[in-house]
Amino acid sequence: MKKILNDPNAYVDEMLDGLCLAHPELQRRGEGGRVVARSSGAVPGKVGIVTGGGSGHLPVFLGYVGDGLLDSCAVGNVFAGPRMDDCIEAMRAADGGAGVLQLYGNYGGDRMNFDMAAEMLDLDGMSVASVRVADDVASAPAAQREKRRGVAGLVLVYKVAGAKAAGGANLEAVAALARKANDACRSIGVALSPCVVPESGKASFAIGEGEVEFGMGIHGEPGIWRGALKSADALADEMLAHVLPELALARGDRVAVLVNSLGATPAEELYILFRRVAAALADQGVTIVRPLVGRYATSMEMAGASLSVMKLDAELEALLAAPADCPFWSVR
Amino acid sequence: MLDAATLSAALPRWCAGVHAAAPELNELDGRLGDADLGATLDKCATLVEQALPEMPDTLEGIFKRCAQASAKASGSSFGTLLTVALMTSAKRCAGVTLLDHPQLAALLAEVVTTLSARGGANLGDKTVLDGLHAIHTALAASAEGAEARRVASDAARTALDAFRDKPNRIGRARMFADKTIGMDDPGMVALLRMVDAL
Repeated sequence: MKKILNDPNAYVDEMLDGLCLAHPELQRRGEGGRVVARSSGAVPGKVGIVTGGGSGHLPVFLGYVGDGLLDSCAVGNVFAGPRMDDCIEAMRAADGGAGVLQLYGNYGGDRMNFDMAAEMLDLDGMSVASVRVADDVASAPAAQREKRRGVAGLVLVYKVAGAKAAGGANLEAVAALARKANDACRSIGVALSPCVVPESGKASFAIGEGEVEFGMGIHGEPGIWRGALKSADALADEMLAHVLPELALARGDRVAVLVNSLGATPAEELYILFRRVAAALADQGVTIVRPLVGRYATSMEMAGASLSVMKLDAELEALLAAPADCPFWSVR
Repeated sequence: MLDAATLSAALPRWCAGVHAAAPELNELDGRLGDADLGATLDKCATLVEQALPEMPDTLEGIFKRCAQASAKASGSSFGTLLTVALMTSAKRCAGVTLLDHPQLAALLAEVVTTLSARGGANLGDKTVLDGLHAIHTALAASAEGAEARRVASDAARTALDAFRDKPNRIGRARMFADKTIGMDDPGMVALLRMVDAL
């Protein structure tokens, strides 16, 4: 292992310390400081949006706490779900009196802890809704969409749900919008090299020098196939072939596109992928709105990229364009 | 027979066994999942160790204190399931001073039901539930004179062997279920290591 750290066991806490020093608009809360919330507190009268998940994916999840986006995040250890107590604390930190939407990626540990937290706060009379993002097409067939994992598409769902809440919608409407956005979003990832969980200190999987794992998840979960690395254009074409069919795009449709680095892959290579994605969509008469190309949802130092596409209607497009500001992303 | 003194005396051995098994469990989990199972349980064991000096002297109290330690240690799936199992055990042991084999077996049945409801796995999915269920069945059929630890260890090992050549049907491993044939489920191995440590 070659990592810049002090103590593997302090990895998450020291990261949180540094992040909040660099971005004073965020602060640590809760016993153990495993909740990140807006320093300015919950926004009175606004539906609060809480997320959570394991560390190791920055900017996901906690990096999207900010104006027009999320209100708080429960932070787990690297690749481990947040604790129930931290989910509860994060929900309290997000609660401006109009209810709280739990919006997070579809993973077992996260779901169990958020569900238990919701049951606890339900006893206190908090209005809670829950939407799990499940955009990774490689993780289950379309017939079992509810089993799919949440990957980079989370960021697009955060954005539109955050804008909806900032616009004053009630809890039911914000949850419905988040569900609509999740239904309209599909993603797939490819990995070229493994990541190292600090506490284990070893590569999470082995992959040959000339190989690619197609469909790999953001924790190194095996994908659809592994084989010789292909050209960027061939990868882009195959990623589109997995992501687009369920969206049933027609000429004239508009989409949001996110080409995301899983960590180590440089922006240059993301733009090489985006070039092909843009050309392919243009050929189909589909317009890309507000493309995002960069590091939005990572897997430590894994090399690789993911493609997310969200089919837009007028409402989603307007919400995507609404102002937002967080440490890793601003929309003005 | 399980009473508070027996359980209390077993805790340091459980912690040591979990620490020792952590690298193996990380490695096994790395083949199927996200490689954090050993680290997760290691944290649980460390917090249980820290709680040893203040451990209550009732079955209910011990299970509850261990559940609190586990909840504080981790929110990952297996850690959360451990917390839920310990909370379920604490609730069932309210006012109970001694569990005989049938009562232990009944407690395990309730734990399996609760974990299935919370985590979504069913018996046969090749998870820790199958190991727990095997222990439940073996304890229910065992003579009161038989040593519970031996019965549990044999049952957990037999379940591990019986499920090795079946596919995992839940969690990350279900995505490549066929590749899991011939592989031990990390959760079932964790259970065996914990039982053997007692």
